[in-house]
Amino acid sequence: MHPFERAELFLRDVSETNTESELADALGVVSRELGFAYFALTHHVDMRRAVQPAIRLHNYPGDWVEYYDENSLGVSDPVHRASHLTSVGFAWSEIPRMIAMTPRDHEILMRGEGRGIGDGFTVPANVPGESNGSCSFANPKGTPLREEDLPIAQLVGAFAFEAARKLWRVRALPQPPLPRLTDRQRECILWVARGKSDWEISRILGIQHETVVRHLKQARERYGVGKRTMLAVQALFDGSISFTDILKR
Amino acid sequence: MVTLADCVPVPLCLPALREMFEARKRVFVDLLKWDVPVLEDRYEIDQFDDEHAAYLIVPDDHGGHAGSARLLQTLRPHILDTLFLDLCAAPPPRGPDVLEITRFCLDRGQGAQGRLETRNRLVSGLVRYALDNGVQTYVGVAEMGWLQQILAFGWRCRPLGLPRMIDGRMLGALHIDISPDTPALLEAEGIYRPAPLQRLEILEAA
Repeated sequence: MHPFERAELFLRDVSETNTESELADALGVVSRELGFAYFALTHHVDMRRAVQPAIRLHNYPGDWVEYYDENSLGVSDPVHRASHLTSVGFAWSEIPRMIAMTPRDHEILMRGEGRGIGDGFTVPANVPGESNGSCSFANPKGTPLREEDLPIAQLVGAFAFEAARKLWRVRALPQPPLPRLTDRQRECILWVARGKSDWEISRILGIQHETVVRHLKQARERYGVGKRTMLAVQALFDGSISFTDILKR
Repeated sequence: MVTLADCVPVPLCLPALREMFEARKRVFVDLLKWDVPVLEDRYEIDQFDDEHAAYLIVPDDHGGHAGSARLLQTLRPHILDTLFLDLCAAPPPRGPDVLEITRFCLDRGQGAQGRLETRNRLVSGLVRYALDNGVQTYVGVAEMGWLQQILAFGWRCRPLGLPRMIDGRMLGALHIDISPDTPALLEAEGIYRPAPLQRLEILEAA
């Protein structure tokens, strides 16, 4: 069968599911067809603390998942951190080239290897406005990847993640409205992020010192934070300001 | 309200469209580093920008350019059949009811929230245009990250072929179904923004 025909078949299996367990079953079958023992489709959050229902479908061994959750690896997993830097599927062997690996990262990967999860291929699934996520396919360490099947895995990962999003959407809690900043508040926060004091900001923007104090106080109230640093962090987190905004002049 | 401009003999000569070509240069050349022609170091414009192209433009609060997309007829040479045939496992869909979405552009100066809102208005405008004009299929080429977003809009999509690495970017070709229930699908994702399409009145070109 032509590789694309195989991909279309897999996509049909994965997209025509109506429940989480049907999707998990379909992914299990497709993973095996692609030569992988394991799959994991997940949001990158601390599963035990997530406020919104977070997507997670997998067939990883149970005790590995327990260790994973107990140590909040959903957010620090080196595989997940690497997936935030790209939108192209990557082999785990490439991770040391993508991120700076800490000794803890090496320990996590070694523990995974011990549980039979050693070599894998991860397809990033990052939707703006939502938690980052991914679809990973894994094998015991030393299993070679079938290069010709990786484009199929890329498509399956993307469409399977979307299928999961649709299934999970019915569970989502209503979001409180995000704080909206005025242009001036945003400008002041930008200068805070660049390390300026209220007085310095008032000189830069050519406005009264008290005006800057007021703008920042109102911004802190909108975000419900007490500290300037947290204000900058929150504004970065919801995209009101970006790293490029802060670092480029 | 979303602006529609079509049958414009020389699009660059229309002042209302020039901001769009400038925004395209800022996004596709300056930011995304695409290898595409640039005119006067200012406008991103290619051989498909002619009287057969249709443009949807989302205005910002001052009537300027917040976002835009270009629609090409599939019965004429377009991007997929001219440049990216490799991304299709079979001959790409063609017909009077099949259009290609290209140059989906969101102005950089809006902040992330503003960009998402403009994006939603533009996607909704594309659906509105399709329903108003009997278009049943959109096709397009997208980079993988963008492809994931396109799937997340809620409309029915399927790939036209396997994705490939081209000039350092992983690209895929998509087929998007448009039918009377498409607005409801977008609404379910919280991204539908119903708005009328307003055709640009073309007076004497400046």
